[in-house]
Amino acid sequence: MVHDATLRDGQHAVAHRLGVAELRGYAEAADAAGVPVVEVGHGLGLGASSLQAGRAAVSDDVMLSTVREALRHSRMAVFLLPGWGTSADLDRAVAHGADVVRIGVHCTEATLAERHIGHLRERGTEAYGVLMMSHMASPGRLAEEAALLAEYGASGVGIMDSAGHLLPDDVAERIGAIAGAVDVPVVFHGHDNLGCAVANSLAAARAGAGVVDACARGFGAGAGNTRLEVLVPVLERTGFATGVDLYGVLDAAEFAGRAFVPAPPFPDSAGIVGGLAGVVAAFRQHVLRHALPAGVDPRDVFFELGRRQAVAGQEDLIVDVVAELSSSGRARTGAHADERKEGTA
Amino acid sequence: MLSTSGEHVPGAGGPVRVAVLGTGVIGQDLVSRIGRSPWLRCGLVAGRDPDSPGLRRAAERGCPTSADGIRAVLASEEPFAVVFDATSALSHAEHARLLAPLGTLLVDLTPSRLGRTVVPAVTGVTPPDSGSVSLISCGGQAAIPVVHALARRFDVRYVEVVSTVASVVAGRATRLNLDEYVATTAEAVTAFSGVSDAKAILNISPAVPPAVFRTAVHAVAPGADPDEVRAVAGETAERVRAFAPGYRVVACTASDGRVVVCVEVTAAGDVLPAYAGNLDIIDAAAVLVAERHAARAAAGAEVVSA
Repeated sequence: MVHDATLRDGQHAVAHRLGVAELRGYAEAADAAGVPVVEVGHGLGLGASSLQAGRAAVSDDVMLSTVREALRHSRMAVFLLPGWGTSADLDRAVAHGADVVRIGVHCTEATLAERHIGHLRERGTEAYGVLMMSHMASPGRLAEEAALLAEYGASGVGIMDSAGHLLPDDVAERIGAIAGAVDVPVVFHGHDNLGCAVANSLAAARAGAGVVDACARGFGAGAGNTRLEVLVPVLERTGFATGVDLYGVLDAAEFAGRAFVPAPPFPDSAGIVGGLAGVVAAFRQHVLRHALPAGVDPRDVFFELGRRQAVAGQEDLIVDVVAELSSSGRARTGAHADERKEGTA
Repeated sequence: MLSTSGEHVPGAGGPVRVAVLGTGVIGQDLVSRIGRSPWLRCGLVAGRDPDSPGLRRAAERGCPTSADGIRAVLASEEPFAVVFDATSALSHAEHARLLAPLGTLLVDLTPSRLGRTVVPAVTGVTPPDSGSVSLISCGGQAAIPVVHALARRFDVRYVEVVSTVASVVAGRATRLNLDEYVATTAEAVTAFSGVSDAKAILNISPAVPPAVFRTAVHAVAPGADPDEVRAVAGETAERVRAFAPGYRVVACTASDGRVVVCVEVTAAGDVLPAYAGNLDIIDAAAVLVAERHAARAAAGAEVVSA
């Protein structure tokens, strides 16, 4: 099954500024294409509009009611990071007609999702648990964490390659380990920093993933997500039925290309380095915004953030790293040769 | 003056008897701090799991222990002078209700919303004679001194506090109480700043080696001058260091009416790992409150006996 995260992860590419017209227009196009699930929200999920991560153009309430109205067949999904959003945000989303909720926690932190998955299960809402920054943990550890999420009552569990660091073999190994540890559908969510998002998603499907995330035109954090309009025909050609109409999904991608400014993300220097360094893709805009005016090479900032193992939500670290690189005179000198060698380890 | 050193030493009655409820990372750190305090004597460590490592370690330190939780505290023949609650926000309400008739001072380290809030650098540490004192949250302890100082100096319209705690020092209760953490911290930020529009966020970092405890304060404050912000943050940090010496400002910016002040707290001393500043700042505050209570009791006893 294809899970469309354009109106949630895509928010990172436009500084969380999608307005009512874009939300409605895209949701209608995705619905018409037969996309089974459309996820909506701030890039970091419910309740995450903030100075730390960026302020959304419209409130969660407006986003959810707009998309709900536009969806005739597709189910509506939302995302929540415990510690950012709360159970009260979940209740409001369910009242708005959210059919599926995904609770996101970092790779080794499944226990953070216990309460919110339980909260949703008690109310009869379908809850998934997803492990972010999955390159930071071994396949075996991810399988253990995924088993915990399933034990809490998750209807599906999986991983996000939040930094776009993984290659197809890494993905197959992780998805295979998780699929062997749980009886619920397994999710894969890719980023395209190293140009592997579609190949990674195909590897995930072949390794047993039942749900694969994608975004129109790749609109998503960092170098972008798996391209929905490419993934759908690739899955169909390799024998995985998606139920999504080819022309419909191409039309939805055309809409996103026209309506979402600026241009769709792609693996540029910042994206490639972010992927190598294992830095959460959502940091991209923040790194560029702080590094460029300070005269610091954003590539050095990504490598230093990777060394510090910064995760989604720690955007405040960027200011320190830029200031340190600036004052140490390492600006634009490429002083991170050591980390570069270690980046793919 | 926040430190109790150099004040009275315990009188003829000796240190006061205290109890610790909860055997997680906070409870264990409290036990070791109580062991180092001239004012406090560990009379009981109570958990609910007889096999918990925290209970075993407390016993190894020579503390009486029990797996009967609050019942063990209530069963004590003489009431404890102070009970530290390091359980969970949900349990705390029940503990407060049960202890209220005993005249015990209850020092709450859970993110419940009961009791008088204490942030040492802002409120001082003198507790009420009995009842409940709330330490808010680790992020609240780190952020509120900065928030309070910014709000006094500048025209603050919005405040947001974002903390990051290392996974290994985020215990089970913390993990189950994120909603209470968010609500209680935001509410306290509003109470101490007068800014009604406030937001609190908590990250748990999986990094290995673990990330140092850190809090970012974002504020919308039109006209805030960067040099003044730096001065205000620096003075505030100095005051906090009187009891949490590992507290320091690591970043400070102000432009276009947006202020960001980041602080990191390393744990002092040789008991906690350096990254566990989240435990250090809240546990140090809790023990100071208890010591002040003990010192006041000792002073009162001297007056009575004189």
